[in-house]
Amino acid sequence: MSDVRREITIAWAIARKDLLAELRGRHTAVSTLTFAALVLLLFGFALGPDAHRLADAAPGLLWLALVFAGLLAVARFHQIETEDGALEQLALYPVDRRAIYAGKALVGAIAMVILGILVIPAVALMYAVNIGPAWAVLVLTVVLGAIGFAAAGTFYAGVTVRMRAREVMLPLLVLPIIAPLLLAAVKATTAALTGDPFGELPAWLQLLAAFDVVMVIAGAGTYGYLLEDG
Amino acid sequence: MKTRILGFVALAAVLAAAGFGLFVVPADLNQGDAQRIMYPHVASAWLAYLSFGVTALAGIGWLWRRDLRFDAVAVSSAEIGVMFTAFAIWGGMMWARPVWGTFWQWEDPRLTTTALLLALYVGYLLLRRLSDDPARRATRAAIVGLVAAVDIPIVHFSVIWWRGLHQGPTFLDPNKILHPAAPLPFVLALVGMVLAFTLTWSWLMIRRYQLARLQAGHEEAARYGRVVRARAKARGHETTMTSPIDSGDATEAAR
Amino acid sequence: MKDVAFVIAAYGVIIGGLGLYALALVRRLAAARRQSRPELRSDPADQGDGGRA
Repeated sequence: MSDVRREITIAWAIARKDLLAELRGRHTAVSTLTFAALVLLLFGFALGPDAHRLADAAPGLLWLALVFAGLLAVARFHQIETEDGALEQLALYPVDRRAIYAGKALVGAIAMVILGILVIPAVALMYAVNIGPAWAVLVLTVVLGAIGFAAAGTFYAGVTVRMRAREVMLPLLVLPIIAPLLLAAVKATTAALTGDPFGELPAWLQLLAAFDVVMVIAGAGTYGYLLEDG
Repeated sequence: MKTRILGFVALAAVLAAAGFGLFVVPADLNQGDAQRIMYPHVASAWLAYLSFGVTALAGIGWLWRRDLRFDAVAVSSAEIGVMFTAFAIWGGMMWARPVWGTFWQWEDPRLTTTALLLALYVGYLLLRRLSDDPARRATRAAIVGLVAAVDIPIVHFSVIWWRGLHQGPTFLDPNKILHPAAPLPFVLALVGMVLAFTLTWSWLMIRRYQLARLQAGHEEAARYGRVVRARAKARGHETTMTSPIDSGDATEAAR
Repeated sequence: MKDVAFVIAAYGVIIGGLGLYALALVRRLAAARRQSRPELRSDPADQGDGGRA
């Protein structure tokens, strides 16, 4: 088996393991989904009751809810490894670190996509937003955003997983980094929902894609150092 | 004591540049006296970004060579850099209020990017503070510094697009003094301030690096002292039952 | 507020801040050097953690 095929197999194996564990226990899924819903609810209290203001703010609130819930998810996928010392065992396998990183990031991305697909109708409902034909573009935006967030979030989850105060360090490190992702995703969502009057949608989607590529490369390239030292 | 001479030269340069910028250079036709703020503001921003680059490069050096001296450079550059970043933001705000009417402008790519730079720096320094083992700390810091450095250009461009892809109001351009047709005194004041700040940065880097090396030495000595004590304790208890506390101590030191 | 006030605020904080940091750095360095001298022999009684970079 060629090197790349082997890496992909391993990455998928790690992702499958986490996904199966999640399907059985569903702890992470339920708690992150509930958290996202709560965030949306609280935004309603904070910015409402003016329906227009909420509808205008909806793209931003959608992505903020996804980002905050996503932080919980990527943190959790790394924590489950440390609870059994599994991370050390994982590091002992003669496997390219990039495969481990890819597997973890894949789970994170899948989780975020599912989360996004569930949250969009919730936002449409709570903030009186008409999605209509834009749903396909919205799903695409969620997928691109999920990849970028999972790439960055998984990387920092790996950095902080065995640190003191990791619950605070993870958001502190991740949030500045994903600022461009947040910006682009909200802009793309807004453009999609308003019918893209300025024709800027492709540009924002391209920015998202570029961010994804950069984060995946940076994360995969440096993750190996973590397993050796930290 | 060449460093000491450098320090005094830097001090003199800063005072001279400040005096020049405040009293000698004429006020701008459009921006008035607020234009003077540009000199230390731009100089601070330049050093903020330079420091960030040095931190990222020093991190690469550590990952490549495993020499803690690289890490000492990285932490020095980060600490000095966060200070210059704060100065740049402060200067930007002080300039923005008289010229634009508000302290903050989201669409100005340099202001928002620099604010994000501050957040990245603070995260970097906090990350270091929460790590105990020198090698682990250096590695974590290096990769975090690297990813952050890679992110900065992306942030910069996304904010420019943020502004440019839809109609925004026209602002007085802070880049006016960098324009080739700018009047000579302005250019001189800016170049002078940048040079003075860079000299100061160099002196600060040397001193901060010395401090970092000393602290690393103390840390190493303290860890060695703990090992020595643990071994002495273990040897002393060879003939008696080892209590759980002592064996815990020895395994901790043996790590 | 007149423009001059903002200019003073800017210069004051930036150059003053540089000066304060430089002074603090010199003192930190002096303290670290003082701490180094008795450590020329590894003293088991030395409890200090030595500070962290």
